[in-house]
Amino acid sequence: MADGTSTPEPIQRLIEAFHRLPGVGPKSAQRLAYHILRAPEQEARALSDALLDVKRRIRLCSVCMNITEQDPCTYCADERRDHTTICVVEQALDLLAIERSGYRGLYHVLHGVLNPMDGVGPEDIRVRELIVRLQDGVAQEVIMATNPSLEGEATAMLIQRLIGPAGVKVTRLARGLPSGADLEYTDDVTLARALEGRRELV
Amino acid sequence: MTGRARSYNTEGVILRRRNLGEADSIFTVFSAREGKFDAIARGVRKPRSHMRGHLEPLTRSQLHLAQGRNLDVFTQAETIAAYRAVRDDLDRLALALYCCELVDRFTVERAPQPLLYDLLNELLEGLDSDAPLTIGRAFELRILSLSGFEIQLSACALCGSRIPEGDTLFSAMAGGLVCDPCRPKAETGRLLSVRAIKVLRFARSATIGQFAGLRLDEALEREVQRALADAIRQVLDRETNAGRYVDSLARPLRDTGRTAAGDVQWSPPSGS
Repeated sequence: MADGTSTPEPIQRLIEAFHRLPGVGPKSAQRLAYHILRAPEQEARALSDALLDVKRRIRLCSVCMNITEQDPCTYCADERRDHTTICVVEQALDLLAIERSGYRGLYHVLHGVLNPMDGVGPEDIRVRELIVRLQDGVAQEVIMATNPSLEGEATAMLIQRLIGPAGVKVTRLARGLPSGADLEYTDDVTLARALEGRRELV
Repeated sequence: MTGRARSYNTEGVILRRRNLGEADSIFTVFSAREGKFDAIARGVRKPRSHMRGHLEPLTRSQLHLAQGRNLDVFTQAETIAAYRAVRDDLDRLALALYCCELVDRFTVERAPQPLLYDLLNELLEGLDSDAPLTIGRAFELRILSLSGFEIQLSACALCGSRIPEGDTLFSAMAGGLVCDPCRPKAETGRLLSVRAIKVLRFARSATIGQFAGLRLDEALEREVQRALADAIRQVLDRETNAGRYVDSLARPLRDTGRTAAGDVQWSPPSGS
């Protein structure tokens, strides 16, 4: 990165701020900073307002931990939704994917997934909030919609262990072959689960 | 390794995964012939990836790699053993991941360790059948000795004199058991019972399968576990992530004092 003596301090600070963003290297950070420098003031103001707004106005829904502007979020406040089913997802983007599938129950966003190798344990994700939430007895079923990866399965198993005693039904998304898959290349675990979950053709 | 071919086949266990960019991942593989190494799988996070399932952590796979500029690149992968029963049980999974982390931390890149490779697979096979979780202790002891940190169990680690039968001080810093006269010289340690010492001695020469046949009561296992944890901490100079995770499974969820509402600081999902 350019040294502080030749670059004016405000530019240097902007470069460093960009550089801290994920996926932005030193050269990209410089290009972005100089782009802002050349851009009209409104553009810079719009960017800074957007940055601050997202921190000021977005919060976590106190019920489902989804990111939201109003609390409780629109999903939790919607009376037409099925309040007896809670779909547990790893991150807010997964919620949008499930929503596209036509699911109309409630959600719970964990904001992470257990990752033993990186030291992410149950206390680092929003598991506790789910347990607390289940105590009101409204929810009858918890759908574990974590990714079908090692970490996602570990998370699903942990949650099942923690809420099992509460008497709530815990279900897991089916695992099997994705559309357009090749059997030849499918791994044994996926194929075995696909066989287990086979359906009669009707 | 200058003599490596432009592409090569190797068998290995996937130790861990880190995501890279939009759809790629870097996998750490522990291979029989190559030792531990990192390699990139391109497009492996896309739903139609051919390799995804064959590169899950804890899978033993036949791998084909092409030499890359920096890291090698996976071109094909096929599962040899998926150790499915390990994945379906939270405690077995946690122990398996802990052992994988030990392998990761105890090894250096591209240094083949065939005995350790066999040991890891023996452990995973044990966990995949119905071996008790105590086999983790045998793994800990053996990985220490295979890596050159053998625990001194017959003679005093400080003066070399024979250890008489009886409860004896175990000092991780000294490297094993310490006889009574030397005890003031050992800075820290814990007293081990005769039974625990016998278990450790047995684990030294037994296979994982033989150790699985050993019935340990809970108190004895904990005693052995603490001694081995001391020894491992002494070598690695830090706690293992997966070890902490194993501990966290054993205790109830703590209240971290976070308030749910209005708490905008949340940790981002890992690996993205």
